[in-house]
Amino acid sequence: MRAADVVIVGAGVLGAAAAWQLSRAGHRVVIFDRGAPGREGSGTTAGNLHVQAVHTRRPGQEVPIDSARFLPLQRAASDRWESVEDDLGASVELRRSGGFTIAETPDQCQELKEKHTWEAAAGIPTEVLDGDAAREALPLLGPTVTAATWCASDGYANPLKVTPAYLAAAAGHGAELVPYAPVREIARRGGTWRVTAGTHTVAAPVVIDVAGPWLGEIAALAGIRLRMTPVAIQMHATVRAPVTMSHLVQHIGEGLSVKQVTAGNLLIGGGWPARALNLAGRSVTSVDSLLGNVALAVRVLPFIRDLRLLRAWAGPLAATPDEMPLIGEVPGEPGFLVAGGTYAFTFAPLWGETLRGLAEGAPPPVEIADLGPDRLMTQTKTHEGRQR
Amino acid sequence: MIVERDVVVVGGGPAGLTAAARLAAAGLTVTILDEQPELGGQYYRRPAPEVARRWGDHRREGGELIAGVRAAGVECRTGHLVWGLADDDRTLLAEDEAGRPVRLRGRHLVLATGAYERSFPFPGWQLPGVTTPGFAQHLAAGDHTPIGERVVLAGSGPFLLPVACSLLALGVKVAGIAEAGTPYRPGRRALGTLRHPARLRELAGYAARLARARVPVWQGAVVLRADGHDRVSSVTLAAAGRPGQAIRTVEADALCVGYGFRPQTDLARLLGCEVTADPGTGDAIPVTDPAGRSSRPDVYVIGEAAGIGGAPTARARGLAAAHDILARETGHPVPPAEARRVATAARRLGHFTALTDALYPSPAQLLDALVPALADSTMACRCESVTAGELRADAAGDVNAAKARTRAGMGPCQGRVCGFAVAGLVRGGAVFPSRVPIRPVRMTTLLELAAEDGPA
Repeated sequence: MRAADVVIVGAGVLGAAAAWQLSRAGHRVVIFDRGAPGREGSGTTAGNLHVQAVHTRRPGQEVPIDSARFLPLQRAASDRWESVEDDLGASVELRRSGGFTIAETPDQCQELKEKHTWEAAAGIPTEVLDGDAAREALPLLGPTVTAATWCASDGYANPLKVTPAYLAAAAGHGAELVPYAPVREIARRGGTWRVTAGTHTVAAPVVIDVAGPWLGEIAALAGIRLRMTPVAIQMHATVRAPVTMSHLVQHIGEGLSVKQVTAGNLLIGGGWPARALNLAGRSVTSVDSLLGNVALAVRVLPFIRDLRLLRAWAGPLAATPDEMPLIGEVPGEPGFLVAGGTYAFTFAPLWGETLRGLAEGAPPPVEIADLGPDRLMTQTKTHEGRQR
Repeated sequence: MIVERDVVVVGGGPAGLTAAARLAAAGLTVTILDEQPELGGQYYRRPAPEVARRWGDHRREGGELIAGVRAAGVECRTGHLVWGLADDDRTLLAEDEAGRPVRLRGRHLVLATGAYERSFPFPGWQLPGVTTPGFAQHLAAGDHTPIGERVVLAGSGPFLLPVACSLLALGVKVAGIAEAGTPYRPGRRALGTLRHPARLRELAGYAARLARARVPVWQGAVVLRADGHDRVSSVTLAAAGRPGQAIRTVEADALCVGYGFRPQTDLARLLGCEVTADPGTGDAIPVTDPAGRSSRPDVYVIGEAAGIGGAPTARARGLAAAHDILARETGHPVPPAEARRVATAARRLGHFTALTDALYPSPAQLLDALVPALADSTMACRCESVTAGELRADAAGDVNAAKARTRAGMGPCQGRVCGFAVAGLVRGGAVFPSRVPIRPVRMTTLLELAAEDGPA
């Protein structure tokens, strides 16, 4: 058995960001992953950096997210993305070319205006445009668009580069990554956690569970019951096209996000559900979702009609029942930290820093008291009846 | 549009045509699909009409087979590209030649999707004038058009011989054939082929034609690189055992390189048919019983898609699958004599395939020889411009992790061209997963399909 300061379970973007923060601060870090690093939600996500309020509801999503609560977190995360490439000494194709959230109906226009008010209150500069002004700003938008908000700081980073860059930088500070090592056992004796994965056992005062869709299963190994609701969503990519659209385009009322990546492919997403979440292998995409998503994309951005669809893939999303992020220490289990939930990619630099603070016993950089795991705990002695 | 049939056959080559003709002759409703504008597949590719008028049909039995399929009442849908599978897991999704969506359902699905050529990169393989032997054959047979004026063929396998003969027939100078193995020497293994006089005669005929034309055959030679400015002008060969060292440079304006064929299994895998690594080739092949039935009782995989065996084997497999379907449909097994004849023919052909395979290096042996010599700077994935060196870096034996890391296999060929080399470079036997769309599909097709009712 070896000793470390922190064991991280899950080499996705959150685990990688936390590993970099902690190892850079001098902590001995071991990261376990059940497979190759960054291959699940962190490798299948669209890579959007959401700064203006996220308002889209995934098809099938039951609870709308509390957009206003997200805004200060998004702003704090946005500030941290600014320095990621310098911090890591690597390109992650970070781009701040701004984004539109569009509306097509009178109700959606109304929502857009409300959203703008919250953004102004949170200090996030956005601008409301009518349909013609939006088309003047982005002539690729179709005739059904009746209004849009514009946010200059919306952006993109290549998810296939971000996690590897964090991991490489963490390795440079001595963090040890153990891939293809599913965690089998987690036990606490006094103030020490023992984590066993494959043939490795590591003892450490802090365990960070950032296992994405397996977050609940990993917590259960430590006897902690968390009510998570992971789902599988899918993404679609067209063939490469001449680069004509540098902005992110989202829809306020329906599941749609479209952008053109550096290579020229158009990425079409919006949280459309895959056929089913398959945690044993890769989830299978749904053709119904594919058709719904591309039809919406073509309606909003008609130029996509002339392209061919090249690829589609599905990936897990570590959703919570209340659609709010999850981050904090598990009550009654000192040193057991969890982080997950939707929009984890946008929040990664912020949550990496927050996890370091929690591990060190320092105050977090943003208010997270209401985002802790207590609200999702189902069977603990001390927290019964405190579910939302 | 939804097409409902007793049997839907995907692929109009020797296997699919044989199965379709037999099933329709017995009274079943059958639709056959092919992505090409004419039936025939690669082997029975139809010559263009002007070519057929002037030079005749190079494979008359193909024309007869196609005529038989039409006469039996098979619905022939050419120009149809199958790109996906609906969420009900049984409706095939296709686009027709005009880009309209077509949905097809069969109580039995027969996949005769054929094979594609096995490529391996080398410096200069992006130059104009560098193609595969299959493309040269396609131009020669279909359009009576030579791929070049002075051609080098390279790679491995028996297919290089008929392609060289087709080029000679067009009056092309075949500068030479570089065969990675050493199959053309009398040896004990070769004697086994004597039991197959017809097949052997075919190969011997090619060899005699090449000898008469004094076409050099360089055995144990592989392409080291191709050079040229705006197109290939010379080809440098190396010994297969020492693939880094030049042994010969040949002038050529066309170079056709292929290492045999790989079964095209993406549709079978999309349908969830179990696949296994072929012990001889390492390729993923669907698990089938002697009648071609896969792990899914409603899906048959036949022809080259079930393992490379050549056109006579493909026809035998097509007939065996048709018999099995007919027995299930009617409750009456095919008369034992006919069934026995088919089984015996298939077994003999399988034996011949094993014997010829043994003469040539296996794909695993080819990778062992070619991969270490491949320079890091060589482009391995042409669609996404990924070099061999990028793929080699921290290769963990996982083609999917390598794809995510480098983009290799993300381009329009979806890994069909680079897959063999990528698997060799990352030392992973796995193949890229099969996902919808298995071929790039027009957005307009998807929009039209979205507007239709019913399952998609």
